[in-house]
Amino acid sequence: MTWLTWRQYRAQAAVAALVLAAFAAVVLVTGFQLAAQWHTLLASCTASRTCASLQEGGTSLGSVLGHDFAILSMLAPVLFGVLVGAPLVAHEFEARTSDFAWAQSITRTHWLAVKVGWVLLAAAVWGGAIAALVTWWSGPRNAAFANAFQANYFDQQGLVPVAYSVFATALGIAAGAVLRRTLPAIAIVIGGFIGMRLWISQDLRMHFMTPVTAYYSVAGNFNPTAGSAILNGGLVDKAGQVVTGSSGNVMTVMIDGAPGTSLPAACQQLIPASANGPNGPSGATLNAVYGCLQQAGYRQFLSYQPISRYWAFQGIEAGIYLAVAAALIAITFYAVRRRDA
Amino acid sequence: MSWVVWRQYRAAAAITAALVAAFAALVVVTGVQAASQWHSALGACTASRTCGNLSSSTLFLGSHAIGFLVIMTLGVPAVLGILAGAPLLAHEFETGTNQYAWTQSVTRRRWLAIKTGWLLLAAAAIAGIVSALVTWWSGPNNALQANAFNPGRFDIMGIVPVGYAVFATALGITTGALLRRTLPAIAVTLAGFIAVRAVIFFELRRSFMTPVTSYFPVGGGPAPTGSGWQLGAGFVGGNGQPLILPLSTNGAVIGGTGGVGLPVSALPASCQQLAGNGRLTRATYHAVLSCAQAHGIRGYVTYQPASRYWAFQGIETGIFLLLAAALIAVAFAVVSRRDA
Repeated sequence: MTWLTWRQYRAQAAVAALVLAAFAAVVLVTGFQLAAQWHTLLASCTASRTCASLQEGGTSLGSVLGHDFAILSMLAPVLFGVLVGAPLVAHEFEARTSDFAWAQSITRTHWLAVKVGWVLLAAAVWGGAIAALVTWWSGPRNAAFANAFQANYFDQQGLVPVAYSVFATALGIAAGAVLRRTLPAIAIVIGGFIGMRLWISQDLRMHFMTPVTAYYSVAGNFNPTAGSAILNGGLVDKAGQVVTGSSGNVMTVMIDGAPGTSLPAACQQLIPASANGPNGPSGATLNAVYGCLQQAGYRQFLSYQPISRYWAFQGIEAGIYLAVAAALIAITFYAVRRRDA
Repeated sequence: MSWVVWRQYRAAAAITAALVAAFAALVVVTGVQAASQWHSALGACTASRTCGNLSSSTLFLGSHAIGFLVIMTLGVPAVLGILAGAPLLAHEFETGTNQYAWTQSVTRRRWLAIKTGWLLLAAAAIAGIVSALVTWWSGPNNALQANAFNPGRFDIMGIVPVGYAVFATALGITTGALLRRTLPAIAVTLAGFIAVRAVIFFELRRSFMTPVTSYFPVGGGPAPTGSGWQLGAGFVGGNGQPLILPLSTNGAVIGGTGGVGLPVSALPASCQQLAGNGRLTRATYHAVLSCAQAHGIRGYVTYQPASRYWAFQGIETGIFLLLAAALIAVAFAVVSRRDA
C-alpha cells in the first residue's frame, strides 16, 4: 500500500518539493540580508546607547519581497488541502478507481489508513518546513518590533501552521469522502478553512486563557512586558465597572479612553467647554480631573495576554486544529466504510 | 446550446446566488450603519468647525468583522478561476463528455464560444456585484481616510475586480484546455493568477503614468496629496540627489513631516556641528534648519494624484481584459486542433 501511495503521489511530491525549494531560496536570500541589517543596526545603536528607542518604529527591516512571501505562506495550508486533500477520496470515487482498489486483498480501512496517514504526514512536513523558514526569517523582526504575538504574525510562525496544514488536508479528505466529488470538496475546503481560521483568530484566540488585568492610577502609565497582546483597556469606577459611553461628537474630550461626558458630574464640571476641541484639555485641566477621579476611586485598567504565554497559546491553537482534524478523519473512515462498493 | 450551459451550471448558479445574497445582506446592513455614523460625525464637526481634524481622530466606521470580509473579496477572482474556469474544459476531457458533445450537430467552436461566453459573463457579473457592494460600503471610509488609491484598497473597488475575475476565469479555461486535467489546471490557475497580480501590483502599477514629484522646504510641510497614492518621500541635497537616510532614526530629527524625518546625522558636517550633542533646543533647531536650507536641501513627495484614480482603474482593467482575450484565443486554437 505504501508503494501504491508513493506511485500515486510521486508527481505531486516532486512539484511540492520544487515549490518548497523556490520558497526557501527567496526566504534564505532575503533572510540573510535581514539578519545582516539587524546586526548593523544593533551595533550602531549599542554604540550610541539608543537601542531602547528602536522599538518605537520608524525602523524598516527586511525586503518587501521577503515580507510578502511570509504573508503568502498563510495560504500554504489551504493550497495543500485543495490540491491534495480534497481529491484523495473524491477523485477515486469520480474515476471509479475505488471499485478496483476495494476489490483487492486489502481491506478498505487499511487502504484508507495508509493513504490518509502518508498524506497527512506530508502535509505536516511541508507546512512545517515552510513555517520553520518563515519563523527563522522573522527572528530579527520579532526582536525589533516585539509583534510575534499579534494577529497574522502569530499565524505564520511556530507550531500553528503545521496544525493548519493538517486540518486543511483532513477537511479536504472528509469533504471529498462525504460529497464524493472533487470540485464541491474544494469549495468546502476554501470556505471552511477561511471560516474556521477567521473565527478562531478573531473571536476565540485571545480568550484561550483568562487575560491578565492590571489596575493602575488614572494619571499613571502602565506598560506590560514588550510583545504582550493587549485586549482592551480604559477607565473603571469605584465598583470596578468599565466606564463606557458613546461620545456622540467625535471631538468630545477623552479622559483615559472614556468620553468626558460619562464622568461623574463633580469631575465633569472641571472640564471647560474649550477642552472639547481640536486642542484638547490643558495640562492644568487634566491634573484637576485626574485628582477628582482619584478621589472618586476611579482607576485605569489594561487587559492583556503576557508574551510568556506565547508557546502555551501556540500549543492550544495547534491542539484545537489537530483535534478537529482527528474528528474529520473519523468522519472519513465512517463514510468510506459505510459506502457500498 | 445556452440551454445546455444552463443545465450544466444551474446548481452552481444557485449556490453562487445564495452566497452573493448573504454577502450583500451583511454589507448593506453594516454599510447603512456606517453611513449614518459618518453623517452624524460630519454634522457634529461642521457645527464645531473641527472637520479638519476628523481624519486624525479615532472615528471608526463600519463593523470590524465585515471589514475583514471586505478584504477577503480580494480572493473572489481566484475562486472563480479555480472552481468555474479550470474545470470548464478539463472536466469534459477527463470524463470524456467532450466526445459526446463534439459528435452533435453543434460545431466545436460554437460549443466552446457559448460555454466560455456565458461563463465569462457570469464571472464578470459576480465580481461586478461584489465590487459594487464593496465600493459602496467603503464610501465613508474612503472619504475619511483618503486611501482608496492605496495598494490593497484599489484592488477591491471600482472596475478592476471585474478585470481580475475575467482574467482568472480565462486562465482557468485555457490551462484546462492545455493540461486536460482539472487538478493540475487548478494549481496552475492559482499560481498564475497570483504571479500576474503580484507583478502588476508590486512592479507595474506605480508607473502606469509618470508620478508627480513636489518639493517643499525643510521644516515646512509638503503639499497634501489628498486621496492620492504616495509612492515615496524623502529629502534631496543641493545637487538634486536624494539624501541617504540612516536605517535607524535615532538621534535628533528636523522637519519631520510627510512621514519622513530628516535626521541631523544625514546633514553636511557643517550643519551637524551646529546641532551639538543631545536634544535640539529651539535656537539650535533653527540654526540647523537654516543651515540645511542654505545647502539647498529640500523635501520631496512622489505620488500619483487622486485625479488619476479612474485612469489607473481603466488601465489595469484593460491589461487584464487583454490578457484574458489572448488566453481565450489560445483555448480556441487548442480545442479546434485537438482530435475528438
